[in-house]
Amino acid sequence: MINNILIAVIAVIAAPIIGGLLSGIDRRLTARFQNRFGPPIVQPFYDFFKLVGKENISVNQTQMAYVWAHLLFAIAALILLVLKQDLLVLIFVLAFSTISLIMGAMSVRSPYSKIGAQRELIQMLSYEPVLLLMVVGIYMLTKSFMIESVFSMDSPLLYKLPLVFFAFLYVLTIKLRKSPFDFATSHHGHQELIKGLTTEFSGPQLAIIELTHWYDLIILLGIITLFFANPLWVGILIALGAYFVELVVDNICARMTWQWMLKATWLAGIGSAGINIIGLYLKA
Amino acid sequence: MDSYVLILLALATLLPALSAAICYVIRNSAVRNFVVVVNTLVLFYIAWEFTRLLIASNGSIRIDEHALPFNVGEIIKYLDVLLLVTIGYYGFKLKKPLIITLTVLQLVPVILFEFFMTVPEPATAFVIDYLALVLILLISIVGPIISVFAIGYMKEHEHHLHLEKTKQPRFFMVLVGFLGAMNALVMTNNLSWMYFFWEVTTLCSFLLIMHDENEISIKNAVRALWMNLSGGVAFIAAILMIYYAKGTLSVEEIVNTPITGGFVGLFPFAIGLLCFAGFTKSAQFPFQSWLLGAMVAPTPVSALLHSSTMVKAGVYLVVRLAPAYLGTELGKVIALAGAFTFAAASAIAISQSNAKRVLAYSTIANLGLIICCAGIGNHIALGAAILLIIFHGVSKGLLFLCVGTIEQGIGSRNIEDMQGVMKQMPYTTIIMVIGAQSMLLPPFGVMITKLLAIEAAVSLPVVLTLIVFGAAFTVVFWVKWIGLVLTMSYKPKLVMEKLAFSISSSLGLLLIGVLVVCMGIAPMYNMLISPQVKAFHVADKIMLLGGNDGGIWLQAWNGNIVGGFAVLSVFVILGILTLGMLFYLKRTTLDEVRTPYLCGENIDMDIRGLQFTGPGEKAANVVVHNYYFMGIFGEEKLTLFLNLGAMALILLMFGVVMR
Amino acid sequence: MGIISKSRIKSPWVIHVNCTACNGCDIEVVAALTPVYDLERFGIVNVGNPKHADVMLVTGVINNRTARIIKNLYDQMPEPKAVVAIGACGGTGGIFAECYNVIGGVDKVVPVDAYVPGCPPRPEALIDGVVAALGKMEEKAQQMKQKIRDRKASHAREAKANA
Repeated sequence: MINNILIAVIAVIAAPIIGGLLSGIDRRLTARFQNRFGPPIVQPFYDFFKLVGKENISVNQTQMAYVWAHLLFAIAALILLVLKQDLLVLIFVLAFSTISLIMGAMSVRSPYSKIGAQRELIQMLSYEPVLLLMVVGIYMLTKSFMIESVFSMDSPLLYKLPLVFFAFLYVLTIKLRKSPFDFATSHHGHQELIKGLTTEFSGPQLAIIELTHWYDLIILLGIITLFFANPLWVGILIALGAYFVELVVDNICARMTWQWMLKATWLAGIGSAGINIIGLYLKA
Repeated sequence: MDSYVLILLALATLLPALSAAICYVIRNSAVRNFVVVVNTLVLFYIAWEFTRLLIASNGSIRIDEHALPFNVGEIIKYLDVLLLVTIGYYGFKLKKPLIITLTVLQLVPVILFEFFMTVPEPATAFVIDYLALVLILLISIVGPIISVFAIGYMKEHEHHLHLEKTKQPRFFMVLVGFLGAMNALVMTNNLSWMYFFWEVTTLCSFLLIMHDENEISIKNAVRALWMNLSGGVAFIAAILMIYYAKGTLSVEEIVNTPITGGFVGLFPFAIGLLCFAGFTKSAQFPFQSWLLGAMVAPTPVSALLHSSTMVKAGVYLVVRLAPAYLGTELGKVIALAGAFTFAAASAIAISQSNAKRVLAYSTIANLGLIICCAGIGNHIALGAAILLIIFHGVSKGLLFLCVGTIEQGIGSRNIEDMQGVMKQMPYTTIIMVIGAQSMLLPPFGVMITKLLAIEAAVSLPVVLTLIVFGAAFTVVFWVKWIGLVLTMSYKPKLVMEKLAFSISSSLGLLLIGVLVVCMGIAPMYNMLISPQVKAFHVADKIMLLGGNDGGIWLQAWNGNIVGGFAVLSVFVILGILTLGMLFYLKRTTLDEVRTPYLCGENIDMDIRGLQFTGPGEKAANVVVHNYYFMGIFGEEKLTLFLNLGAMALILLMFGVVMR
Repeated sequence: MGIISKSRIKSPWVIHVNCTACNGCDIEVVAALTPVYDLERFGIVNVGNPKHADVMLVTGVINNRTARIIKNLYDQMPEPKAVVAIGACGGTGGIFAECYNVIGGVDKVVPVDAYVPGCPPRPEALIDGVVAALGKMEEKAQQMKQKIRDRKASHAREAKANA
């Protein structure tokens, strides 16, 4: 029990630090791809502290509460991940994190904010089925929804679930807000609908949203490591590799429309995950 | 003890009939309101007593046929014919040959069966087990609360329509009398008596949808009538077949027929027909149009009949029959049909902006999920089905009442017009938001049952995919609605709106009900649902899945759930969110508030961002609507081919039982 | 220097507003974001949203309509904030100062912290201007804290008076 609490606390403190550094590496590498220098790797932390030090303004009274819920759900999901709990519940808790942010954005009477929220909803609509099918695919191999059962498998999940992994990369692109799927609000340096979803959040609220984005990043990379859980360092390498691939895709692709994203994610994502699962079902 | 149970039974079925008669005969509104309230309190008491007695008697209260003071069977025979003649009369009056045909198709078998064949009545007339108790609680607690709501609502409704002569006596007669019929339906063990009460509910639904007596309500009432009547035809056909195959009309004996050796000949076909009747009653695809059309009725009707109770009769029948078709091909097709409806209705709901239609589609979807869980048939799924019956009945009833109140408050039932309703009607809005979230988030029940359904369905990949799609769709339309309703700009103080006492008290009571069932999920599961699932003898029939150990429930050594970490944490976070909202509502000062971003064109004094400076320096309104995705999820686009798919599934269902 | 003060200087987010400019200065601002001058290595990000921004770069002269807009955008920015007036037009109105519709430079509407003269100024001069504006951030932060303290005190006094 004490062990669990310790692990959870360490994870909650370490994840944003690692997430922030990864974000910084993201900006640095993107800059290098674009033939420029780019900010220092610790830049996200400068951004974070600057935002914390700004005046706390808001457009309506209830925004801040939603932002806190957004963060707390993400932390809960992280704790579920490191304590190796139920994967299906984790997916739903992550979904509630996004839902809180969407509701916070919709609670403001601003066209940019509301349209950004609607687009974020469409994003959720496209990737939720893929995530749930991924969980089902993992279940079919490990016969349990608990994450700890993944660690006791003899062969890595990746060998039997390659298409599911590919589908998950689509989800990763959407969740990390990378082109071609970054139209709810795109990440640094880019603007879409001004800032879309996060237009009316500022100062400390935006700082917390940034922090949650780092937690999200770590949770998603953590799920990727599950695909190659033994030995864990290979899984971590694959996760970092996938992250690098996302950066490359971001720099190559242009932003597309939501109709395109819906079609692409459902066809490629659900299609490949579905084929993989049916394959497993027929073999079993 | 036995006579006490008999008295409770009589009260549960006949008291509402008596109250109904009084409401119709005595035309004084104060007397009527008093009778409705007394009826409510007595039904609460009855529900409580049944619960206490059932737990004390370890899961089964039985009332034998010969213990009844008079020959109920005889009376029901004659009432049956009278009922069918009444329905035929309405068909004649409204000049609808389809109705007359369907009535005759039922009348002939009924007369043949009841009067010309000597059919021995089952020895046990009424059986109350945990499943029946769950439905009784729903009918006798949620139902009367809705009838209390109707007091305030109908007064305003008739005032709105400028009616000279009040139609409330007839309205309350049918509304309250219906409760007695439903109680009897879930308690009876005799299949032909169940058929009678089933058709009573059909008639009640028809009369209530037709209440406003304008062209559109008559059209929709007739559609509801013929669809339910076709279910009735299937029902009576099934009764004949079951009697021919098994020689009994006792529901208990029918469902406990062992699969091997018992599921042959006409019997599976009869079960298929009964499930078909359940599908029509619960407005599954392709029969969903009657429920959508029924939304023209006054809100208490929609809340009581078309979400909490009458449509639950259909799924009750399907769940009751679950042990009969477990593990068979029929079960798999039923699961498929239910999952298909779940996904299809949730998809179309995304494109609807009429609040009652969204609720109707959501109801159809959840009923589909219950049927799907019943079809999957393992112990997780059956538990999820019963849980969902409870949660959905309470939450959807609450939501309909809130939408009705808001509709009377702002004069529109379009979601787009509900923007800013938080400031005009905070009491109703907050209750509605909690109700809508109870359909969406844990620790509220509906989400937990969705999780359970996904976990239970892993053995059927197509069913699983449909459930997964449906779950993703439901999130979209609920979040759109809740987000819009919670839109508010800075307001220093929220003023609670004025509501009639019957309305505000019924809303409050139902809200407490929602919170109680959600927080009490663990004891409820242990006391009511787990024993029922064990009673279904599921374990004997099919291989139990490995299932999930841990996660949501922490399994104690005796198989009782203790409660899970994940659910608790979400509950805590939601609590923090609510407290946070209250905190920030008070603490934010005007200095901290800024206008929304409108490219700098805000009108100076307008901190709410309602207008911007348009061309020619004129003020223009800011208008933002939700997306409705008509191109992808539009009702006209999807309905035709979804109906065709559903019809194919129904044909498949009959196909697998004819082999 | 505390971490927050250091971060304010290391991460200035910019909103670029074109009042009525001929786009000469705006092209220089945008050029500063390109790889040749690369503003992002200083942590400068062009956010288009006043609520996210620390520094407002204004080009062009002020007339009646843009006065209203600049004031609105300036109000939407959270403290501590700075304004940099770019170019001759932004500073004093430039060659258009005596036009019938021109009110003047940016400082007629909002307090300006740095002027970057030129027509158009070079990107290096722009960066210089932003750095100069950032030098005042610390002082502005102190003013912001004082303002918040005063506000809280007056609210407390009001609450006492009403009770």
